[in-house]
Amino acid sequence: MDLWSNLALGLSVAASPENFVFCLLGCLLGTLVGVLPGIGPVTTVAMLLPLTFSFDPVSGLIMLAGIYYGAQYGGSTTAILVNMPGEASSVVTAIDGHRLAQQGRAGAALGIAAIGSFIAGCVATVLIALAAPALGAVALQFGPAEYFSLMVCGLVAAVVLAHGSVMKALAMVVLGLLLGLVGTDVNSGVRRFTLGYPQLAEGIDFVALSMGIYGIAEIARNLEGRDETRAVRTRIGSIWPTRRDLVFCLPAIFRGTVLGSILGVLPGGGALLAAFAAYTVEKKIARPPRHFGEGDLRGVAAPESANNAGAQTSFVPMLTLGLPSNPTMAMMIGALMIHGITPGPSVIRDKPEMFWGLIASMWVGNLMLVVLNLPLVGIWVKLLQVPYRFLFPSILVFCCIGAFAVNGREFDVYVLAVMTVVGYLCAKLDCEPAPLILGFVLSPIMEENFRRAMLISRGDPSVLISEPLSLAFLLAALALLFVLVLPAVRVKREQALQE
Amino acid sequence: MTRAIRWAGVVACLAALIGPASFASAQTYPDKPVRLVLPYAPGGIVDFIGRTLGQRLSEELGQPFVAENKPGAGGILGTDVVAQAAPDGYTLLLMDPAIIINPTLQENVPYDFKKDLKVVSVISSSPLVLVTSPALPAKTFAEFLAYAKANPGKLNYGSAGIGTTPHLAGELFSARAGAKAMHIPYRGIAAAFPDMMANKVQFAFSSITGAKPFTNDNRVRALATTGTKPSSAYPDLPTVAAAGLEGFDVDLWLAVFVPAATPEPIVAKLNKAVAAAIADAKTVEAFAKVGVEPRGTTPAEGNAIVAAEFEKWRKVIKDGGIKQP
Repeated sequence: MDLWSNLALGLSVAASPENFVFCLLGCLLGTLVGVLPGIGPVTTVAMLLPLTFSFDPVSGLIMLAGIYYGAQYGGSTTAILVNMPGEASSVVTAIDGHRLAQQGRAGAALGIAAIGSFIAGCVATVLIALAAPALGAVALQFGPAEYFSLMVCGLVAAVVLAHGSVMKALAMVVLGLLLGLVGTDVNSGVRRFTLGYPQLAEGIDFVALSMGIYGIAEIARNLEGRDETRAVRTRIGSIWPTRRDLVFCLPAIFRGTVLGSILGVLPGGGALLAAFAAYTVEKKIARPPRHFGEGDLRGVAAPESANNAGAQTSFVPMLTLGLPSNPTMAMMIGALMIHGITPGPSVIRDKPEMFWGLIASMWVGNLMLVVLNLPLVGIWVKLLQVPYRFLFPSILVFCCIGAFAVNGREFDVYVLAVMTVVGYLCAKLDCEPAPLILGFVLSPIMEENFRRAMLISRGDPSVLISEPLSLAFLLAALALLFVLVLPAVRVKREQALQE
Repeated sequence: MTRAIRWAGVVACLAALIGPASFASAQTYPDKPVRLVLPYAPGGIVDFIGRTLGQRLSEELGQPFVAENKPGAGGILGTDVVAQAAPDGYTLLLMDPAIIINPTLQENVPYDFKKDLKVVSVISSSPLVLVTSPALPAKTFAEFLAYAKANPGKLNYGSAGIGTTPHLAGELFSARAGAKAMHIPYRGIAAAFPDMMANKVQFAFSSITGAKPFTNDNRVRALATTGTKPSSAYPDLPTVAAAGLEGFDVDLWLAVFVPAATPEPIVAKLNKAVAAAIADAKTVEAFAKVGVEPRGTTPAEGNAIVAAEFEKWRKVIKDGGIKQP
C-alpha cells in the first residue's frame, strides 16, 4: 500500500543515526526553551537557522521541527507547575493543570500531558500521511470573511463555555480584544492606544502579558494565603497517572487530537484556538463534568493533545502550499528556500524522502519526548518541594528575564509589572484570565480580516453571510449564544412562575 | 601635590572627552566586538543577511560582529539605537528602505537619517516581482497594464503592510499606469497569496522569496520584475521598465549605516571589509538563495543612492495621499 511504503521510506530516513541525533537535539532544545520563559521556539529557530545551512536539508528541518514541538511540551510543564504558560497554546493547560499541582497531583497532570501529547502526535502523524493534500486545501478555503467568522465563533464559545459568571467572561473577552488592538493599525499605519510609547507600536508583548496575568499574579495571590494553604501544594501525591486516570482521559485525548488536527491547519490562531476549543468541548460533553476548572485531568489531556496535534498539522500548509500558519513556520519556509527547496504542492512529488522523512521524524520525536519527559516528571515535581521563600523570588526573576529577553528591552518588564496588577485584580474579582488571553491573541487577526473583507467587498457587509463557510461559522456562533441564553430563559421563567 | 593631582584629573577628563575620537583609530579598529543592529525580528531577510554579513565581517576584521535584533515600530526603534550610539564604529546598522520611508510616512520619528546616520555601503539589491491572480485574462505585463487601465478602481493589490516597499511599488504602479487600484495590506506578503489564488486580490509586488513558492508551479502568475535589469531569480521575465513603464525602478536595497560622526578612516576600513565580505563566493551564494544580489558601493555613492530613494518615495507617498493623518 502506498501509505505504508511512504511511511516506511520516511522512517528509514528519520531513523538514520544522523537524523536520529538531530531529532533528539531538537527535542531537547525545544523542551528547554519551552520551559524557560521568554525564549520561544521562534527565537531559537532563528538563532540556529544559519547553523543548519551546512547540514543536509532533511536533518536541518528535522532538528528545527523538533525544537518547535518540543517547545509545546516544555511550555505546558511551567504552565502546570507554576501557572506560567510560556506559549499561548498552554494557557488553557494552566487552568486545570495548575489546580492539580496545587492539589498535589502535578505528577499525574504532567504525565497525562506527556501521554496525551504522544498519542495526539501519533494520530496526527498518520493523519498527515493520509490527508496532507486534502488538509492543505482546507486552508485555501479560508478568505478574510471566513477567518473573521471563525474568530467570532471562537470568542462566543469562550464566553459561553467559561465557568462562572457569563458577564465576567464577556468582560474579560472584551478587555482582551481591546488590549489586542494596542499598536499600529495595519490599514492606516496610525498608532492606537500607545500612550506615546514607541515600544507599543507593535502591540503589547504576549509573553509579558501572559506571565504577568498568570505567573506573577498567582504568586501575589499565594502570598496572601496562610501557611497551611500553601503547605497543601507541596504535598506530593502519586508521581504517575494511574491506569484509571488514563482510561478516564482517553476519550478526551482523542477528541482533543481530532479538533487540534483540523484547527492546526489554519493560519493565525490555529493552535491556540485548538487548545481552547478542545477544553471547552470537553467541558460540555465530558461526563461527569463537575471538576472542570478545579483540577480535572481531562482539562489537561484535551488541550495538550489538541495543541500538539495542531503543532504537527501546522506543517501541512507550510509544506504543501508554502503557506506559513505561524512565525515558526514562516522561518521554516526561509530555511527550505535557503536549501534550494521551494515549498509547495510539488514537494511531496519531488522530495518524497524529505516530506516523509520529516513526518516520520515527528513520530520518532514524540516518542523521544515521552521517554525524555516521563523521567523528568519526578524531577519537576520535586521542584515544588522547594520552599516558597526560594521558589517565589526565582519565578519572579525568571519572569523578568523572560519578558526582557523577548525583545531585549526593559520596557517589557514594565509591561509585565502592569499586567501583574491587572492579573491580580482579575483574580480578586473572580474573573478568569483565559478568555482575556484568547481575546488578546485573536483580536488583531479578527480585526484585520474584518477590515480586509470590507476593503475587498468595498464596504458591503453581506459578504460575511454570502460566503457559505463564513455563514456556517456565524450560525454556529448564534447557536452557541442560544445555548447560553436558553437555560437563563428557563430559570427566569421558573422564577416568574414561582412568584 | 594636590595641584598635580588636580591637573592629572583635568588631563584625564580631557582625554576622556576627546578619547573616543582620537583613540578609535583606524589602525587598531576593531579591538573589541562590534554590534550589528538589525531593526527587525528574527526570521526575515534583514535578519538572514545581517547574520551572514556579521559572520563574514568577523572573519575579515578578526573581531566578532554580533548581530543583534532590535525590532519595534517598523524598524524605527532599532534605527534610533544606532542613531544615538557613540560614533566609534562599534555600532553598525543594517537597514532596508524603511529607514527613509518611515520619516515621510510617520510623525515623530526620533532620528534624522541625513543628520544622524551615514552610509558605509549599499550592500545588496533585490527587485520585487509583479505577481497576479491566475484568474486574470492578462498573460504578459503589457496585457496586464492594458487590463488595469481598462478596470480602474476594480482591482485590489496586496502588500506586506502600510508603507512597505510592496505597498509603495503598488502605489507607484497605480500612479504611473494611471490605473487606481485598492490597497489591501497584509501582515507580511505571504498572507496575501491565498487571497490572490482565490482572485480576491488581483496583483501584488512581492519579494522574490515570498513569491517563489507560488510562481514555481503557476499558482500565481509572475509577469515582471521591478529592477533596472532582469533578475537572476526570474531570468525569463522582463523588467516593468522594459515592458511598458519606462523608468519604473523599485529596489529592496539593504545598506550598512553608522552614526554620522564616525571618523572617515573607520568608515573606509569598514567599507573595504564589507566589499570583501560580499564579494566572497559563499556570501554571493547565500544571498542568491533569498533572491538578493550583492551590490557594494563607496560611502559617497551609498549616501547619494539613499538620498535619491528618499526623494523618490517621498513623492510617491505625497502624491498617493498615503501619509497617515
